[in-house]
Amino acid sequence: MTNEAQGRPDRAVEMPKTVPLPGLEAYRADQQACAAAEEAKWQKQLSDYEAAKAKAEAEGKDAPKAPVKPVAKPEGDLKAPVPTEAQDPDLLRLKDVFGEAVEEFFEQAGECTAQIARDRILEVLRFCRQDPSMRFEMLADETATHYPAASDFAFSVVYHLASLSRSKRLRLRVLLPEGFELESATQVHRGANWFEREIFDMFGIRFLNHPDLTRILCPEDWEAFPLRKEYPVAGLGQRDIDFREDRSGRLTRRAQEQAGHSAINLKIPTAD
Amino acid sequence: MAVNASAVQGPTLLENILITTKVEKVINWSRATSVWPMTFGLACCAIEMMAAGASRFDFDRLGAGIFRASPRQSDLMIVAGTVSYKMAPIIKQLYEQMPEPKWVIAMGACATSGGPFDSYHTIQGVDKIVPVDIFIPGCPPRPEALIHAFMKLQDKIMSGSMADRYRDVFEAVEG
Amino acid sequence: MFGGTEYMEINMGPQHPSTHGVLRLKLKLDGETVISCEPVIGYLHRGVEKICENKTFFQGQIWTDRMDYCSAIGNNLGWAEAVEKALGVTVPRRAHYIRTLLAEFNRIASHLVWLGTHAMDIGALTVFLYTFREREEIMDLFEDFCGARLTTTAFRIGGLGQDLPAGFEKAARAFLARFPACIEEYETLLSENRIWKKRTIGVAKLNAEDAIALGVTGPMLRAAGVAYDIRKAFPYAAYAEMDFEIPTRTEADTYARYLVRMAELRQSCRIIAQCLDGLPEGPVMAKLPKSLKSEVVEIYHPTESPKGELGYYLVGEKGGTQPYRFHVRAPGFANLQSLAPMVEGGLVADVIAAVGTLDVVLGEIDR
Repeated sequence: MTNEAQGRPDRAVEMPKTVPLPGLEAYRADQQACAAAEEAKWQKQLSDYEAAKAKAEAEGKDAPKAPVKPVAKPEGDLKAPVPTEAQDPDLLRLKDVFGEAVEEFFEQAGECTAQIARDRILEVLRFCRQDPSMRFEMLADETATHYPAASDFAFSVVYHLASLSRSKRLRLRVLLPEGFELESATQVHRGANWFEREIFDMFGIRFLNHPDLTRILCPEDWEAFPLRKEYPVAGLGQRDIDFREDRSGRLTRRAQEQAGHSAINLKIPTAD
Repeated sequence: MAVNASAVQGPTLLENILITTKVEKVINWSRATSVWPMTFGLACCAIEMMAAGASRFDFDRLGAGIFRASPRQSDLMIVAGTVSYKMAPIIKQLYEQMPEPKWVIAMGACATSGGPFDSYHTIQGVDKIVPVDIFIPGCPPRPEALIHAFMKLQDKIMSGSMADRYRDVFEAVEG
Repeated sequence: MFGGTEYMEINMGPQHPSTHGVLRLKLKLDGETVISCEPVIGYLHRGVEKICENKTFFQGQIWTDRMDYCSAIGNNLGWAEAVEKALGVTVPRRAHYIRTLLAEFNRIASHLVWLGTHAMDIGALTVFLYTFREREEIMDLFEDFCGARLTTTAFRIGGLGQDLPAGFEKAARAFLARFPACIEEYETLLSENRIWKKRTIGVAKLNAEDAIALGVTGPMLRAAGVAYDIRKAFPYAAYAEMDFEIPTRTEADTYARYLVRMAELRQSCRIIAQCLDGLPEGPVMAKLPKSLKSEVVEIYHPTESPKGELGYYLVGEKGGTQPYRFHVRAPGFANLQSLAPMVEGGLVADVIAAVGTLDVVLGEIDR
């Protein structure tokens, strides 16, 4: 197993240092911190200016230019979407019904997101599907993300629900620590079967009560979980196979006969 | 010295009714003009291979129109698409199932060297698994490029000889 | 001596005569009846999601072409809209119209591949040659616009890299004038053909309840009676301004899906004509800084690809030039789950018809 990063600095794995988990409180805290930092910088600029002005007067030189407070640039075609207070009736209803289980709920970029406590997710999925005012019939997608830089959780599993009759979408998010086994959504939506197998294959997250939790994309005997952040893009050396033979296999067979094997149990890699 | 007209002879009686050639040339010619490829499209290049076989570009006029499904009946394996780790042993098995003489064209960047997919599950080139005769660059190569490569393969077959083909193997085995 | 069952277990694929890519089906047969069918995928898994996490937002488009390779422009459109949603970019109206125009040409091209290969699998070889003839004309249009026939990488974040070239509109209108006659040609070959009807009516049925439970979308769902099309339900690009219908049927078998897709070809022609007629003037690219950085954001953008709901899930970090997570919800991935309930209890020859009617493209399923 070679590590391709050796001698190839562009292949080295760089672990992420931040936790980009969108959320209203996190956003507000971040905004406050940014504003405070801006304010502190402005104050420092002012005080630096005052000090420089005093020094210039003492030396008899011209006063330095006064600092100008930066004006916000006019918005062009680029305006990043930010989390806002939830006003969507679906989110409010979820919060009403489930109370504490809904840890966070907000809207961003025109989408509604609700973060659910990990032990209540099955109830919430069932409710979203069966409640007459919600009617989210289809599970459009289920996927996960790895957050190694986070302290109290390691993964987030997101469910994208779609209501065909009401033309609405909703995202449910669950945070899990390493090793936590989540209830399988196949108990509510049969289509979650392969989505959860892919999450298991790529991240190693196990699901309880899943009909067949095996690897789906990588072969059965694959080691490690590719979409985790510590896994390098070029892999751990499994792809460096080289079982090309001479054109007709004669040389190999000759060599094996000479070595005493009859070549019946020739070890070649198998498909599964 | 002027050309002596009487020195140039017309066809003899026998040459009017016979064609003489080497057996090897005839065999090479028949192999080159009726190469039967195997349907082995893996990814995007397969669509361009299908387009090459379809109405506008028409592979059939080169004698290669019949894509055989079974490797046992085909001469040529056009590896069109990305070779993944899971698929590699199957490619090898298919190559071994093809009877001699057999040729391989690696079509596209993925089959040549992994293409844009430098990832954990992609073999960087099908020549790590099977010996390749012609490589075609492109992502995907145009159907004209595939036809050009095929014609180069025909040249290779025509100018090859059976003795040359196995000489290396025999020398290695004996010496 | 022998095992207790009389069932035969055979492997269909990953290399097989039908040209659908590297799909392997583990079939358990009792004579000719299918007892169970288990699709095995992953033979074209190329790690696209992992690769795109290490590339900038701009570079990610390249790998999207190669997922659903029969309809690259549809993938590009989904990607462009998703990244623009994540970064908060406003795209000019002319670019939306041109994108819609190309996406509908792409829908026609993808359905032509579907028709050609589906008919070829069932035995109607002529249709393949006819459909690819029309597809070549569409690929000429794509090549005119962006330089590539198949893997187009046609769009840019914020609009288009260049405007429509001179002569494009004329060629497109010429195609539209000719194409309805071609659709009729295919229908003459197949729609009332006794053999086609016997091979497709009542074959591979999937009712609406099963389809919704399994997450099946696209023509498969519409043939089961559910009039759900993302272009109407969650409009994107210029679809809100277009006037078109969503063809549906109720029988939910292979013949119904064939009719739905043929009707979609006609609707696509209608949309293209409206785009050409109503093309607004203006720039085709938004004004953006050279290097695009995202904020902390998580978006899911669904689009209607010819196969169903194609969704892009992007997570961005603060000040990041690369996506933190890039996931594609491929329509084929969910649709293929419905293969097992569709063919179990049927004949083994109907498995071919079922795989054809699903319109699977393994590039997007395996990513």
